[in-house]
Amino acid sequence: MIRNRISLVCILTLLVQQMAFAQQASGDFMRSIGRIYVVVAVILIIFFGIVLFLIYLDRKLTKLENQIKENE
Amino acid sequence: MIRQSWWKILAVVLLVYTFTAGMLVPLKPGIADVSPRALQAGTDVEMTITGYNSYYTKAKSDLRAWLKLKGDVVLKATSIEVVDDRTLKLVFKLPAYLPSDSKDDVCSLILDSPVDGAIVLPEGIALTQDSVNLAEGSKLWSVDKMDQLNAGPELTFPYRSVLYETIRNQYFHVPLWFAMLFLFIFSVGFSIRYLRKFDPDADQRALALTRAGFIFGLLGLVTGAIWAKFAWGAYWSWDVKQNMTAVALLIYAAYFILRGAFQDEEKKARLAAVYNIFAFAALIPLIFVIPRLTDSLHPGNGGNPAFGSDDLDNTMRMVFYPAGIGWTLLGFWIAAVSYRIDKLQNKLLDA
Repeated sequence: MIRNRISLVCILTLLVQQMAFAQQASGDFMRSIGRIYVVVAVILIIFFGIVLFLIYLDRKLTKLENQIKENE
Repeated sequence: MIRQSWWKILAVVLLVYTFTAGMLVPLKPGIADVSPRALQAGTDVEMTITGYNSYYTKAKSDLRAWLKLKGDVVLKATSIEVVDDRTLKLVFKLPAYLPSDSKDDVCSLILDSPVDGAIVLPEGIALTQDSVNLAEGSKLWSVDKMDQLNAGPELTFPYRSVLYETIRNQYFHVPLWFAMLFLFIFSVGFSIRYLRKFDPDADQRALALTRAGFIFGLLGLVTGAIWAKFAWGAYWSWDVKQNMTAVALLIYAAYFILRGAFQDEEKKARLAAVYNIFAFAALIPLIFVIPRLTDSLHPGNGGNPAFGSDDLDNTMRMVFYPAGIGWTLLGFWIAAVSYRIDKLQNKLLDA
């Protein structure tokens, strides 16, 4: 579990760094091709939001599964 | 909730349609840039036009362009050179006088193509003259007529400067709020039912619906901030609707904190239900009333008509309404799964 959390933090830090780097490298990236990447960013945020909720439900279910195992 | 899953299939179908149509339908051809933007009467000017989604090489000699002043007074371009699909060079021979009683005026540019349709760049070009002669100016500008404008391609989304492709966020950012609202409405319905019958199941449903609605609200806030960065210039412009939704979400965040503060299940459920009704009663004026009373950057607030034809044309409606239903159904799906897990948990705890 701890290892999972560390890797999640690592991935998130990398992602944020990447985004910061992309902004520095070309502030115009998000404005290129008619600002289509703004739409891409919005869709990605929704996707990650739903995935985070999925992780929350997953952990809840894992707890329930373990409880059932204990009861047996 | 409902055992049959037809509505989940419907959610997937509608969202697949939303993503496909919402991303693949092109923007209407538009004029991205014109230079120069200031013209002097009595001179010949060469204007460079930069198009967006345009196909100038396909139209070639059928292209026509006008400068248009108030009252349908136009001046036709004497020559049009097609450089490539996105670039045009127009030549205007401006008469010595303008049909205007002041030294400065503004005009719009109209470009007509059988392929891209007629495109208007509104009020974007400044005109100046050294001396005023209204009668002569009116005569000189009455030679040309604007006629038989072409209709553009049918299946397109509106081209708006500043927005450009981000107009597609209408199918991703806006429906999140629709979904949130419906989830909160149903949630408050179950809270009322709980207070009338003290059925713990109703409380569980209200909790799951509020949770899903809260997630959609948060996502709406974050996606809105990203969109605002590239449309309004800042992630947070202290726009009244941004502020009020943030306040509303904080009120709802307190709902979950409140639940966590009670050990006794019945007390928890009863207070949560009462608080949920209060939160919903605050939500409606915060989101729908206050933003309309003051100026807002959001369309549909501060006196602008909501979803006017400028922001949402008929092609957009064909995607926007299914998107709203699709995202809302997805929200209910998320709520249903979370409710079923909660129910299992309670069953295990009781056993």
